[in-house]
Amino acid sequence: MIDNILYSIRNLTVEYTTRAGSVKAVEDVSMDIRRGEILGLVGESGCGKSTLGKALMRLHTGPARITEGELWFDGRDLMTLPLKDMPDIRGAEIGMVFQDPMTSLNPVQRILEHITETIQTHEPEISDTDARKRAEELVERLGIRRERIMDYPHQMSGGMRQRVMISLALSLRAKLVIADEPTTSLDVIVEAKFLDLLKELQKEFGLTILLITHNIGVVAEISDRIAVMYAAKLAELGDVNDVFAHPKHPYTQALMRSVPNIKLDSGELYKMAGAPPDLSHPPAGCRFHPRCPYVMDICRVEVPPLEAVEGDQLAACWLYPSVLAKSQEKMHA
Amino acid sequence: MPESTTVSMNPIPMDKSTEAAELVRVEHIRKFFPIQSGFFASLLIGGQIPAVKAVDDVSFIIHKGEVFGLAGESGSGKSTLGRLVLRLLEPTSGTVVFDGTDLESISPEEMRRMRSRMQIVFQDPLASLNPRMTLGEAIEHPAQIHMPKLSAAERRERVLEILSEVGMSPPTTFYSLYPHQISGGQRQRVVLARALVTHPAFIVADEPIAMADVSVRALLLDLMMNLKEKFDLTYLFITHDLATAKYVCDRIAIMYLGKLCEVGPLTDVYQTVLHPYTRALLEAVPVPDPTHRRTEPMPPGEIPNAINPPPGCHFHPRCPIARPNCSIDEPPLRELRPGHFTACHYAEDLLK
Amino acid sequence: MTATKDQLPKNAPEAVSWESELERVGFVRRIFLARRWYGADWWFVTIASVMVVAFIIVAIVPGWFAPYGPDAIVGPRFLAPGEHPAVPVLIVPADSKVNDLKDLAVPADQPRPSVAVVIGVPTGGALNEQAKAIDEQLRNEPGGLRLRPQIDRYATIDQALQAVVDGTDLAAVIQSTEWEKQGLAQKFPTLREANTITGEISTAGGFLLGTNDIGQDVLSRLLWGTRIALIVGFSSSIVALVFGVPLGLFAGFIGGPMDRLLSLIMDSLYAFPGLILAISITAVLGPSILNIIVAIAVLYVPTYYRIVRGQTLSVKEEVYVEAARSIGARSREILQRYIFPNVIPSVAIIFSVNVADAILTGAGLSFLGLGLPPTIADWGIDVARGQRFIQTGWWMITYPGLAIIAVVLAFSMMGEGLTEIFNPKLRER
Repeated sequence: MIDNILYSIRNLTVEYTTRAGSVKAVEDVSMDIRRGEILGLVGESGCGKSTLGKALMRLHTGPARITEGELWFDGRDLMTLPLKDMPDIRGAEIGMVFQDPMTSLNPVQRILEHITETIQTHEPEISDTDARKRAEELVERLGIRRERIMDYPHQMSGGMRQRVMISLALSLRAKLVIADEPTTSLDVIVEAKFLDLLKELQKEFGLTILLITHNIGVVAEISDRIAVMYAAKLAELGDVNDVFAHPKHPYTQALMRSVPNIKLDSGELYKMAGAPPDLSHPPAGCRFHPRCPYVMDICRVEVPPLEAVEGDQLAACWLYPSVLAKSQEKMHA
Repeated sequence: MPESTTVSMNPIPMDKSTEAAELVRVEHIRKFFPIQSGFFASLLIGGQIPAVKAVDDVSFIIHKGEVFGLAGESGSGKSTLGRLVLRLLEPTSGTVVFDGTDLESISPEEMRRMRSRMQIVFQDPLASLNPRMTLGEAIEHPAQIHMPKLSAAERRERVLEILSEVGMSPPTTFYSLYPHQISGGQRQRVVLARALVTHPAFIVADEPIAMADVSVRALLLDLMMNLKEKFDLTYLFITHDLATAKYVCDRIAIMYLGKLCEVGPLTDVYQTVLHPYTRALLEAVPVPDPTHRRTEPMPPGEIPNAINPPPGCHFHPRCPIARPNCSIDEPPLRELRPGHFTACHYAEDLLK
Repeated sequence: MTATKDQLPKNAPEAVSWESELERVGFVRRIFLARRWYGADWWFVTIASVMVVAFIIVAIVPGWFAPYGPDAIVGPRFLAPGEHPAVPVLIVPADSKVNDLKDLAVPADQPRPSVAVVIGVPTGGALNEQAKAIDEQLRNEPGGLRLRPQIDRYATIDQALQAVVDGTDLAAVIQSTEWEKQGLAQKFPTLREANTITGEISTAGGFLLGTNDIGQDVLSRLLWGTRIALIVGFSSSIVALVFGVPLGLFAGFIGGPMDRLLSLIMDSLYAFPGLILAISITAVLGPSILNIIVAIAVLYVPTYYRIVRGQTLSVKEEVYVEAARSIGARSREILQRYIFPNVIPSVAIIFSVNVADAILTGAGLSFLGLGLPPTIADWGIDVARGQRFIQTGWWMITYPGLAIIAVVLAFSMMGEGLTEIFNPKLRER
């Protein structure tokens, strides 16, 4: 077991059973989250990134199910645990920050109670005074004034609520925080400060963060590595500098060029043709092929595997000989 | 009742370099939303009902043919201002002059007719389309109201034409669909079509691409700019995203807590920032380039509430260059450079 | 329970594809496809709709289904469901030529025919009466025949029949029901059942649901009663709708003092316990179907008013209404094309449940004896009448009661099911 990998996701598939049949929101996704890194997971709406985030804590209920895959978190495959043991892991080892903090916080509970309840559920031996002390310290560390711990959620602003969410994750010294669109509902200055906070937490607590967002600017600001999802599959994965400087997958390339960059003096925004596919009837072969400017015959037929293309940078695209070679190797193996 | 503030006597921000005529002139617009308080509470306050000061003394001029950006965070009052310009809200005080006509002086019937020339595109296209009307009916409705001389067939022709203009082909298919049957990007096109069907001169676009997918935004922006060229439109482009504004706006105004901080040509404002808030905003925008990560710290605190904004300059508690008088004297909007206005006492410091 | 679309988070990839599929097919296919989509609710609505349609058909043409008219007195009183009416019938030797009572007539000078009856059973009296009547007839006819039977009374049926077997009596008269009930055919294989002495056709199988206290067929009254129930239910709901909906729209849209005044009036009406209000109105107006309809309608106007007003208030704040104003639409147009169509679905749904409620209230009113003249076939009246005879004639109150339950259930189920099906669209965002 490689020690610097905190969470190894192997061949994860999450299916939704709808009235129209079953849809694979996440299909055969494999990736590693390294200890102490901030991994940015980007994609447009409907690509499956939020589903993936929730699957990592086995949070899905009802129509969604993990139908395949292994979730090796810190040396254990979470898929082998009985579902009733998951609450011990949630909060204590993996924390989650959601998009809209207003709906994830209990409106009739004070912030203090939120935190102390979380702590005392997982560590029942802790006394009330100790739990309160820890809560106050935590909240202050996150930039909220101590007195405000007695506020109710509606008395706080959006940015502060998000900080409270993080504090809940940190209160139990979680190893991994999954942040699902944490800044989408925030104003841009508040967002910037929140991202600063995440970076500080990464440095000070060695926190590992999976940052899920559709905003690649946010990912560029604080991530160490970036993963790009398209239509339930991973398109590209690599160091953030590498991927931004030379994106390998045509979708990533198009995405980079279609996002406005305030630092650039001029330039037009690239317009991507077509639309993301309907996942109940995805296109055959590479999911991006109907919109790809470099489409080849093989793209229409075979699904390209995610393979290393240049150094540590992985892409799922037939354009690259290493991808072709690796898949032929696997075929003959 | 609004509390009295001195009305600023300074020139209204406009673009003197252009020859284009004035299309929209907004002067000292205010919009205060009174908060309901109990009968006895209002007695205690001394007869003054607290109000949310959404827009507080804003003036500017929009010239024909330009894209005038209005940027700000939540609580800045930009959406309220957009609606005030179109008279979808009645201002508490101040005037809006559209193409020479003072909108307050005309009768409600005349105002209704005026609407054929000034339209709005809302942020959420699904919410702004009547779920019980087909797309064709929705687009046709303004034509029914304002172009009574057209026969039904001619109106339908016009609608199909407009649908093609916004890129919905084949138009006859889309004519009889309902809003929930098409995608978000397509809906926004339909909303654009509805706004265009009466040949308006002026369109207020309130965060028009905020709810669209990233890959669709560029297409929509492109469409809007093409339509502007083709139909000789003028836009008031309201947004919170300064990166997008950069791609489409000619001039831009930055708002904070109901007041204008800075107004000027876009390149000037972005390159020669004259207000600490604008600078913070520009710095805060996430840049999709990991080699250009932000190093500047952000202003402390958060946006205060608009009921009791900080006295003097509203931004002073968070401002890195604030001096003692900033908490006392409200900075007037002044023209520091040609066409470039700022409401900061010490804007010159930023020039260095 | 199969998955519902609204349980999926906003990011779920299937988007609106299933709905567009649904719209691409024709209406009939859609109904069957919908079964997959809506699961249990589909069954609710379908079964309930079939029941409602059945009730409506019966209400329109009860004559096709009911064996008798609503008022017809067709049989003995208190006949249990399926019970054969006991008609006095002749029992004769198998080889006898006698079939009717008339056949026993003999010339005046011949010895009188002897007939056996059982003591303590009304057949003796019936025989007497019939014999006298026939005798009267015969006297006026030529032929000189007379019918003056010699009545021999026996303690038990068996004795009476034995006498016929022995030849002591020419025939016996017993209740038709006894012949089958006691297995007498097997006991006396030499005897057979002839015709009834009254000339009545003993209704084979009796009356399906029995008869009531004055001899009317319960089933027929039930079927005819459907008409009244549905007329009252639908009419009062429609009248309530016609008044409640526009008032609600108006109040919600205009607001201000008009709204407050109307709401005050409506809330006051709403505060009244329903049945009591209806009783008071009927008491004032007098008994007639029209007055019942009015009374019940008044009862339900506030329901429609409140729902429509609430919906109007919320729809008024929607962005598309603001958009309508921004394109210069007049208030009337906005109400008509933007607000009304979005408010109406909720009305359609409560209409169904409302009809159920109105039928129940109507039955309640006629149960209390208010509103309908007692000659009209109506479930409420029947239930009221049946109260007194629960022991002797339980079927008199049971079947009308069940009918009320069935109709109310059918309409309610349909309304509830429709709510479930339509709501996803309303809740779509």
